[in-house]
Amino acid sequence: MNWNALLPELVLSIGILLLFFLDLLLDKRHFRLLHVLGGFVSIFAFISLFFVEVPAKTFFDTFAVSSFELFGKGLLYILSSLSLFALYDYFLKKNSPYGEIPYLVLLSTLGLSFFMSSSNLLTLFVSVELSSISIYILTALLRGDYNSKESAFKYLLMGSVGTALFGMGSAFYYGATGSFFLTPYADQNTLFSLFILFFLSALALKISAVPFHFWTPDAYDGAPTPLVGYIATAPKLALYMLLVKLTLLFSQFKLWLVLVAVLSLLSMFYANFTAYAQRSVKRLLAYSSIAHAGYFLLGVSFSDQILQKALLFYLGVYVFAVLGSFVVLSAFEKQEGFSHHLLEYRGLGRENPVLGVALSIFLLAFIGIPPMALFVGKLGMFMGLVKAGLELLALAFVVASVISAGYYLKLMSVMFLEEGEVRFRGSSLSAGESFTLLVCLIFILLLGLFPQLLYTYIKL
Amino acid sequence: MGVLLTVAIFLPLVSALLVAIARNSTFSRVISIATSVVVFLIAVYLGLNFDWNNPSFQHTIKLPWIQPLGISFSLGLDGMGMALFLLTALMFVVAFVWSAKIEDRPNLYHALFLLLETACIGVFSALDLFLFYLFWEFMLIPMYFIIGFWGHERKVYAANKFFVYTFFGSIFLLLGIASVVIYGYIVSGSVSFDYFFLKNIQYPLWIQLVTFLLFGLGFAVKVPMWPFHTWLPDAHVEAPTAGSVILAAVLLKMGTYGFVRYSLPMFPEASKYYVPLIFFLSVVAIIYAAMMAIAQTHIKRLIAYSSISHMGLVTLATFASDWNALNGAIYMMVAHGLSSAALFMSAGFIYDRIHSYHMDDLGGLARYIPNLAIVFMLSGLVGIGFPGLAGFVAEFLILLGTYKNYPVWAFIAGVGMVLGAAYFLYMYKRVMLEEETISDYRREKWSHLKDLELHHWIAFVLVLASSVLLGIYPLPFVKLMEHTTRMVFGG
Repeated sequence: MNWNALLPELVLSIGILLLFFLDLLLDKRHFRLLHVLGGFVSIFAFISLFFVEVPAKTFFDTFAVSSFELFGKGLLYILSSLSLFALYDYFLKKNSPYGEIPYLVLLSTLGLSFFMSSSNLLTLFVSVELSSISIYILTALLRGDYNSKESAFKYLLMGSVGTALFGMGSAFYYGATGSFFLTPYADQNTLFSLFILFFLSALALKISAVPFHFWTPDAYDGAPTPLVGYIATAPKLALYMLLVKLTLLFSQFKLWLVLVAVLSLLSMFYANFTAYAQRSVKRLLAYSSIAHAGYFLLGVSFSDQILQKALLFYLGVYVFAVLGSFVVLSAFEKQEGFSHHLLEYRGLGRENPVLGVALSIFLLAFIGIPPMALFVGKLGMFMGLVKAGLELLALAFVVASVISAGYYLKLMSVMFLEEGEVRFRGSSLSAGESFTLLVCLIFILLLGLFPQLLYTYIKL
Repeated sequence: MGVLLTVAIFLPLVSALLVAIARNSTFSRVISIATSVVVFLIAVYLGLNFDWNNPSFQHTIKLPWIQPLGISFSLGLDGMGMALFLLTALMFVVAFVWSAKIEDRPNLYHALFLLLETACIGVFSALDLFLFYLFWEFMLIPMYFIIGFWGHERKVYAANKFFVYTFFGSIFLLLGIASVVIYGYIVSGSVSFDYFFLKNIQYPLWIQLVTFLLFGLGFAVKVPMWPFHTWLPDAHVEAPTAGSVILAAVLLKMGTYGFVRYSLPMFPEASKYYVPLIFFLSVVAIIYAAMMAIAQTHIKRLIAYSSISHMGLVTLATFASDWNALNGAIYMMVAHGLSSAALFMSAGFIYDRIHSYHMDDLGGLARYIPNLAIVFMLSGLVGIGFPGLAGFVAEFLILLGTYKNYPVWAFIAGVGMVLGAAYFLYMYKRVMLEEETISDYRREKWSHLKDLELHHWIAFVLVLASSVLLGIYPLPFVKLMEHTTRMVFGG
């Protein structure tokens, strides 16, 4: 047994147990402490990554770490600690201090962490479920709120469909290869094609690609806002890590390229057009994330070093922009009666310059304006796609980006430029929220000007 | 000297941060004007030290930046870059002097203009395509807010339209950059965004044809060429005066600058292949925009259409594959920068005094604000190419060069120039001379109108004196243009 390879997961597990008991023992007054502790558990897990010797395998080779997994885990732990720091104030203001939040978030992180390292379909299945079930509970957290319950139920139902597809795909894989281990496979047969079809569908559902996206707007809309920042980022990070691995193994199949391209084109165009019809900013961002799923899928359409590195960079900075924007949204929501309708954002940027500017920076980053780091990701994706000979997909990406610019701008102009009755004046930031926001902003701006700070850690 | 150029780019950025956090609006005004003057002095100093006999980029600096991607912080100026740097630096001095009395959120206003100055100078001096795109695209953010915050009635619409149109062009440009970089990688085995590296690659014809379109779309929206021009009249109409000045004098030049700097040398065969298309679009722009200008009653919209018409001349001459024509095109960039700036300042002044841009509300103003009548006339004469002023040299060179290879197109362009005289004089008549249409009430009200103040005078004198200088002593400037032309055509 190689315990060293499991170091960060061990740290997380011990932290989760600790938080579980602390939640039982301490009373509601220590709600904030639990979150900060949870954040630090995640930071310790991050630190422990430096002591992991790579490459290593354990658990009968079902669990593998290499510098590729370390990159993903590093981002994942940073993400979960940042989201934990940003969570507590919202729930205090909403008068629902539930002590289970920190360990549920960490439990989900633990599942995703295992997921990243799994090289076997069975362990992949178990770990993705560990993460998903924690997230279903987190979505339903606001027990008194009808929307929260409804969205959690929808999420659960759609998630179960994904689970079924996942299982079915794994069965076909076993039928084709006689093993659950992910290994290079060159034989083109029906069983294997079915595996690709089902498995990609399952993953598409989890990353909310069209036509498997239906849960996303509802889940984002109903879930507690600060948690959306976590739900929308951490699982995606892990899933794209898996997709990259699958691309390296299976992308020589024609079916792979066709399916990925179709999913990606549908997501980009459907979501970018639908986003214009949204009146709720949360739903608007949900559609933005569906569109981004389309962009990211382009990065796994073809096995190419430049393309996959660009994808991982793009993803690595995108998650911070999403997290940051949901922190701003949850700060706004702390005002009584705020429901994220577009009209309620009128003048909010002028009233709260700090939050408004922060949100605008994230929106401009989504559009792909330099010096925000997402622009470097976009450039890298273009380069990779052109190199892979997929110029037409690159062109589709360009057109979709142009379409998307309008709705981000709409939100920005509502916040800053539009005149008229200002219904909400502003809100305060807690220490944790401002810390998270600051880190996200620094990431986005610094990595835009010095992308090598992250790029050098991406090793395929 | 590259260090000085770097200072000229980042000094406004530093000042912008200072101004943004300042509490005192006088402080921000002083800092902004001082910054722009220092940058202008740097530009003049670099201009005087520019050796036009030395056929390479000058005042260069190259620092390692993002090594894994072959990106370096590389700056340098050729003749065209130098001329446009001078123009930019001058225009920002003018813009800040003009805005000396702005009351509405002055700190933010000055900070955004300073950011814009950084981006503009960066575009004209970047020698690395990544750096170039960074400045090119960053320019959108301050301009968006300048139009959106200080614009007129439909400012939100105009700001969004400006942003979306420009972004539409530049994302294609980004794909174009990615394509040439990848082709360079396939040919040489290393990723590099360096301008000279990418320029010296021989691209096969089909790659040239595709990338020319990708680059060209980015530039064409900014120029703007017909049919991508519709954002410009809206943006100009809604923008505050100083915003219009910068937009017309500096931002539009980025598109034509891009054609000369990137499209012509990098894709020489495609540049010949697309000549009919570009000529067609340019001539449509020249004639159609001039006709549109005649039909306007909104003076800013009229000037905006005249810009489109003039920029059509520039794109026409750029691709005429003639030494004189290209000189003329670059000369026209500077001359049009001066004339449109002066015209927009005149229009802005009228709006400040009378609160209307519509010809129906105006008339006979020459009697009440005679000084403006003089500078307005001069500004217009620069634009329509009156001999002795900057526009004349430019138009003469353009016609001379284009006529050699393409006499028919040159003739049509000449018609456009005549129309230019027509719409300007028509506007002048309606606004300044025609007294019959104005009511007694207006006469009474206008009899107390205040004429040009000191800061208006400074701004006008700076622009018009430069126009006269370029008109009566064009030699050093033509030498500057020739420095670039020689690089493009070789020899």
